[in-house]
Amino acid sequence: MSADKLPEHPDFLWRNPEPKSSYDAVIVGGGGHGLATAYYLAQNHGMTNIAVLEKGWLAGGNMARNTTIIRSNYLWDESAAIYEASLKLWEILPEELDYDFLFSQRGVMNLAHTLGDVRESIRRVGANRLNGVDAEWLEPAQVKELCPILNISDNIRYPVLGATYQPRAGIAKHDHVAWAFARKCDQLGVDIIQNCEVTGFLKDGNRVVGVKTNQGTIHTEKVGLCAAGHSSVLAEMAGFRLPIQSHPLQALVSELHEPVHPTVVMSNHVHVYVSQAHKGELVMGAGVDSYNGYGQRGSFHVIEHQMAAAVELFPIFARAHVLRTWGGIVDTTLDASPIVSTTPVDNMFVNCGWGTGGFKGTPGAGLTFAHTIATGTPHALNRPFALERFETGALIDEHGAAAVAH
Amino acid sequence: MADTQQLDTPQDIPRDLHGLRRSPASLLHEVFAAGSTGGVVELSELEFLTMAGIRVDPQSETATRIASVTDGLPAHCGDVTGGGTNGKPDTAVLWLGPTEFLVVAPPDAHETLGGTLVPALVEALADGQGQVVDLSANRTTFELTGPRARAVLEKGCSLDLHPRVHPAGTALSTEVGGIPVILWKTAEDTYRILPRASFATFLGSWLLDAMREYASPEVP
Amino acid sequence: MLLIPCPHCGPRDETEFHYGGQAHVPYPGNPNELDDRQWAEFLFYRENPKGAFAERWLHSTGCRQWFNMVRDTATYDIQAVYRMGEPRPTTTPPGGGSRATGGPTGPSAAHAGTPASPEGARP
Ligand SMILES: Cc1cc2nc3c(=O)[nH]c(=O)nc-3n(C[C@H](O)[C@H](O)[C@H](O)COP(=O)(O)OP(=O)(O)OC[C@H]3O[C@@H](n4cnc5c(N)ncnc54)[C@H](O)[C@@H]3O)c2cc1C
Ligand SMILES: [Zn+2]
Repeated sequence: MSADKLPEHPDFLWRNPEPKSSYDAVIVGGGGHGLATAYYLAQNHGMTNIAVLEKGWLAGGNMARNTTIIRSNYLWDESAAIYEASLKLWEILPEELDYDFLFSQRGVMNLAHTLGDVRESIRRVGANRLNGVDAEWLEPAQVKELCPILNISDNIRYPVLGATYQPRAGIAKHDHVAWAFARKCDQLGVDIIQNCEVTGFLKDGNRVVGVKTNQGTIHTEKVGLCAAGHSSVLAEMAGFRLPIQSHPLQALVSELHEPVHPTVVMSNHVHVYVSQAHKGELVMGAGVDSYNGYGQRGSFHVIEHQMAAAVELFPIFARAHVLRTWGGIVDTTLDASPIVSTTPVDNMFVNCGWGTGGFKGTPGAGLTFAHTIATGTPHALNRPFALERFETGALIDEHGAAAVAH
Repeated sequence: MADTQQLDTPQDIPRDLHGLRRSPASLLHEVFAAGSTGGVVELSELEFLTMAGIRVDPQSETATRIASVTDGLPAHCGDVTGGGTNGKPDTAVLWLGPTEFLVVAPPDAHETLGGTLVPALVEALADGQGQVVDLSANRTTFELTGPRARAVLEKGCSLDLHPRVHPAGTALSTEVGGIPVILWKTAEDTYRILPRASFATFLGSWLLDAMREYASPEVP
Repeated sequence: MLLIPCPHCGPRDETEFHYGGQAHVPYPGNPNELDDRQWAEFLFYRENPKGAFAERWLHSTGCRQWFNMVRDTATYDIQAVYRMGEPRPTTTPPGGGSRATGGPTGPSAAHAGTPASPEGARP
């Protein structure tokens, strides 16, 4: 766990090409999901005359800001299927992309603090096992054994009554994941165009035929939106609405410490999730701010609340310092499940609504969204996550498994 | 809607039963005394004050009737009426919202001690639109007093408590130490703090902690 | 931390409030006649603008009243506060959208005749 284990990387991993006047497909948004989608379009569907347009720098949005937790222990069959497929991809991607992005399967614990939590958790463990997801229920003593720095005394505000545990879950280095996808995309011929903001769409009737950008107009057969927090803004430009609300979500890191925290601990109840990154900093995520916001910053009381909970659960953290805090813009849906779907506009597709937990979904979203874009129809894994579910009522309510924390 | 009209008001509770009552912060009384420094800052619990919640449109006839019992109703955020007039020296009405008020009176205003406050309010409400509820057990009352009282509160309350904007005779619903309270400044350097009963021990301990530094002589 | 000017109590910390999402979403007048698409719109679809947004807030730790507020979701600047039932006032971002003109405590904070005296003490 020391800095010298981080892989060396060359100065340039991808070209910075000028945009061409036309592509077979354009992906809007160069975060993890946009890059993974482009990769699978090129790799699985042979679509290499495509571009990823990113208004800022590559993976500078939520991809740069998340706490990198990867797991698949969601409640419903539909979610377990797509998140578990994603986890299986994480397991092979370092080799496939030829890039060690430090995927560390150190396990993830979700703490239960109330009787309601306990019942819900045990139910989820059962559901996970039926879906082939590795899941265990841990009693407090077992929790302590796996993570000795946790305070399992019952004399705290939210005592630890147990936890669900997924051994194959873990964390990865988010920047390296983005760079791994970007380098491979570039090798396959994909144009990654940074500082290129999409400002409107060209339509022929109800069919999208191009995008307007600050670097000029680009014609395209197909458009895939991967804009996370800005999805509603892009949908509005294209003339349709999304059932999305954008909220700030904050996280923070401490200074570097000796390795003290061997796994990942999440608590939806007290809104805190903690791991120790490879270099040694404690990485903690907070709850979403209640209000809609595009500001990439949230309110300080959310951080205070999170630190109070963290220090109670991990007394050893009391002397650590908050080094940096930051915020991303998360695209939340009412059922806490993503949208990977066709749209009311022909040849335009949308991948959004991953909210507080889409880092883990990066490869799964890329694989299924690429299929949807290439074939015009959903992949079996993302069919349940279409926009239609808000009309049919077939919602996939993952508030229990997703909550605010990831 | 006169919600409390049907409530039993057991006037016949034997008085000595009151000796069995425990106030929400009773466990802290000793540490309150030990943590208080005379002439600096002192903390105590005022037990069992009588409190009645009123909801009424202040423009209505009903409000006029109720106001005749309470000696007026406060009109704006922060306002407190009553206290000191009409032979009811300690009965005050606090503004909680545009149609919501809290009457605070001494313990013996409660009918179990022979008082008549709540029945009189219920009678004034009659069948008018509104509500009178006996809330005596809802909140307890802390009294924080002394020249350092404001400094203690400022550690956990983001309102501007400077006397320029926060004069004596002001009561505000706000947060102290993260706990929702009514903060009522009854005199220069004296505050009543009214948390709900279940927050009393937490807030009491919080205040004690905030007072601690003032027990030692100031480091020049 | 937002500093929110409650129309009844004046400026207070955001922690005293609860968020109520988009304002001015009426319950359908003809619920029996709505088709699935219209129900979906009513239940799940809300505006999500980057910019001025009319939203509801509840001053839960203070006067316990709901009210409306126009806030810029990109700058978090509060442009207007008005009572439930009142129509959305027209607002212009202070300083033509620049953040130079104060935060929520600035002169732009309390529009529409709202008493924004400090902490609600009498003006
Ligand atoms: C603090 C925080 C902690 C999180 N923790 C976790 C976690 O532990 N585990 C987990 O699974 N998930 C987590 N998430 C969620 C996860 O980060 C997101 O769900 C995921 O990153 C979203 O996909 P993305 O990487 O493509 O998004 P982004 O990286 O945000 O990519 C979207 C891109 O679109 C670009 N864009 C927007 N508008 C335009 C336009 N008009 N033109 C061109 N480009 C545009 C943006 O600049 C941005 O780069 C967390 C998020 C945050 C904020
Ligand atoms: Zn108010």
